[in-house]
Amino acid sequence: MFAAVDGVSFVLAPGETLGIVGESGCGKSVTSLSIMRLVPNPPGRIAAGTITFEGRNLLELPESEMQAVRGDAISMIFQEPMTSLNPVQTVGQQIVEAVRLHRSVGATEARARALEMLRLVKIPSPETRLDEYPHQLSGGMRQRVMIAMALSCDPKILIADEPTTALDVTIQAQILDLLRDLRDRTGAAIMLITHDLGVVAEIAHRVVVMYAGRIVEEAPVDLLFSDPQHPYTLGLLGSIPRLGSDGDERLIAIKGVVPNPYALPPGCRFSPRCPLADAHCRSEAPELREIGRGHRTACWKAPLDQALAKAAAA
Amino acid sequence: MARHIAQRLMISLPVLLGVLMIGFLLLQVVPTDPATVVAGPSATKAEVEAIRQQMGLDRPLWVQFAGYLGRVLQLNLGRSMISNRPVVDEIALTFWPTVELMLACLIWAVPLGISLGTLAARRRGTTIDRAIMALSVMGVSVPVFWVGLILIQYVGGAGLLPFQGRNGPIWTADGLISIILPAVTLGAVFVGPVARMTRTSLLETLGADYVRTARAKGASDWRVTIRHALRNAMIPVVTLVGLQIGFLLGGSIVTETMFAWPGVGRMAVGAITSNDFPLAQGAILILAVGFMVVNLIVDVLYAYLDPRIARS
Repeated sequence: MFAAVDGVSFVLAPGETLGIVGESGCGKSVTSLSIMRLVPNPPGRIAAGTITFEGRNLLELPESEMQAVRGDAISMIFQEPMTSLNPVQTVGQQIVEAVRLHRSVGATEARARALEMLRLVKIPSPETRLDEYPHQLSGGMRQRVMIAMALSCDPKILIADEPTTALDVTIQAQILDLLRDLRDRTGAAIMLITHDLGVVAEIAHRVVVMYAGRIVEEAPVDLLFSDPQHPYTLGLLGSIPRLGSDGDERLIAIKGVVPNPYALPPGCRFSPRCPLADAHCRSEAPELREIGRGHRTACWKAPLDQALAKAAAA
Repeated sequence: MARHIAQRLMISLPVLLGVLMIGFLLLQVVPTDPATVVAGPSATKAEVEAIRQQMGLDRPLWVQFAGYLGRVLQLNLGRSMISNRPVVDEIALTFWPTVELMLACLIWAVPLGISLGTLAARRRGTTIDRAIMALSVMGVSVPVFWVGLILIQYVGGAGLLPFQGRNGPIWTADGLISIILPAVTLGAVFVGPVARMTRTSLLETLGADYVRTARAKGASDWRVTIRHALRNAMIPVVTLVGLQIGFLLGGSIVTETMFAWPGVGRMAVGAITSNDFPLAQGAILILAVGFMVVNLIVDVLYAYLDPRIARS
């Protein structure tokens, strides 16, 4: 038994887009599934904490009330559009179900709503698509259907778990455009989970960086890119290839691997891979602290400017 | 869908030919000589020879088979050596009682098996799950004839339900009552495998991404199970039921004989023990065709259950 996510705390404002970034296994998905209370149990369990939505603690709601929240006020889209739709139901049936679970409307009205949603996500010839099965659609189309379904009840929060990871790059850009457009139109807050800082730069207002089940840095998106204050974030940024660099420049890879959750290192969880780590880092875990307006980091060395200068000099 | 069915029918034709050939050859290798049987115990050698020529048994095998094929195509399966009535008529008499028995067995055993399997999957690891699985192992392990004997002894013997023959078509009260014990006997071995397969298959689909999507939509646990997971879990179950119906046809020979049920199975047993070749051949043919029809239905059900199959 281990804690996949530990001490994670953040706020999502109405209409805001929050990016949650980190590499595989850092607890991004578990965090999002926890909000929906969809962590598979067993083996998973939410041991402690609160998830407050409009004044109510979601973790204390009875299951039936939670079902009323899922898909209505808070909805979710997933990484795998190929397998996330039911293969034996038509696209229309699946959207209609989402509508009718939360709105007391007749079959015709729900179908009209489904059609409207398919138009909203810009699926060509939506009338015919409505009666098609998922296997007749491409990956990008299926993700559009997922988005249409998730937005069909006008949610206040849309949780998007790696919504573009499984798609081609050109389709990724289309889906991100669509999400941004829909956010501006519907005013829904988006919680975007991704390992791709490029995606975050495209769409997020604020970013939370996670590492090994903890938040290591949180900042408005422009600040995170211009003034990262955690060595892990710095490493992530350094590993992105840039247009215009002369090609001789090596990408910076973060040395080592993510720690085994059964055997987390003492002190700062990033310390075994951190070029700046010292004895203090390895013995005592840093708490998340405010170092600027809306900018929090969990690093003893922050602000990093002096530490980096010192390291460069040495 | 219509094209899918037509394709399946075309594929069935060679199978049918094979079935006819095996049915024909089986009776060639049986040590008894049909001509001797027809001629009777007191016939002379010359008389037997005359009958053999009259029946065409002296001609080469392939000529005999071609003749047999031609007659089958005209629905002429010959005459029973015992009753001297056309085999087709005999089959027509026994066919419906067997179908009745099959349906009466399936109609309770399959839904019960699927329900128990679903319940076991949803309550995985609990006492309910273990009890259902233990029951299903028992169901598989117990032979049909033993279930039949127990039922005849304790239910039939106590005069609660009839256990001797068919007292009328199923839609009459007498007929309905008389089919209960045979149908329960035949279905008892069916529930276990269906429950087990449903549980396994459902546990797999319950972990699928689209099930998580359905939960994220706000569907209740049971709605998710039945509307999303169960239909996706049905393909292996339908396959199993289709195959089991093959065993059921075999099992029905035992059941029909035990309960004096006037079906094809009992007729086949009678024909074989009395060396009634045309009738035995006819019974084998109809059982084989029955199995083929079941397979066809299974194929069509696949396409209904999973739209990806009909289009591939």
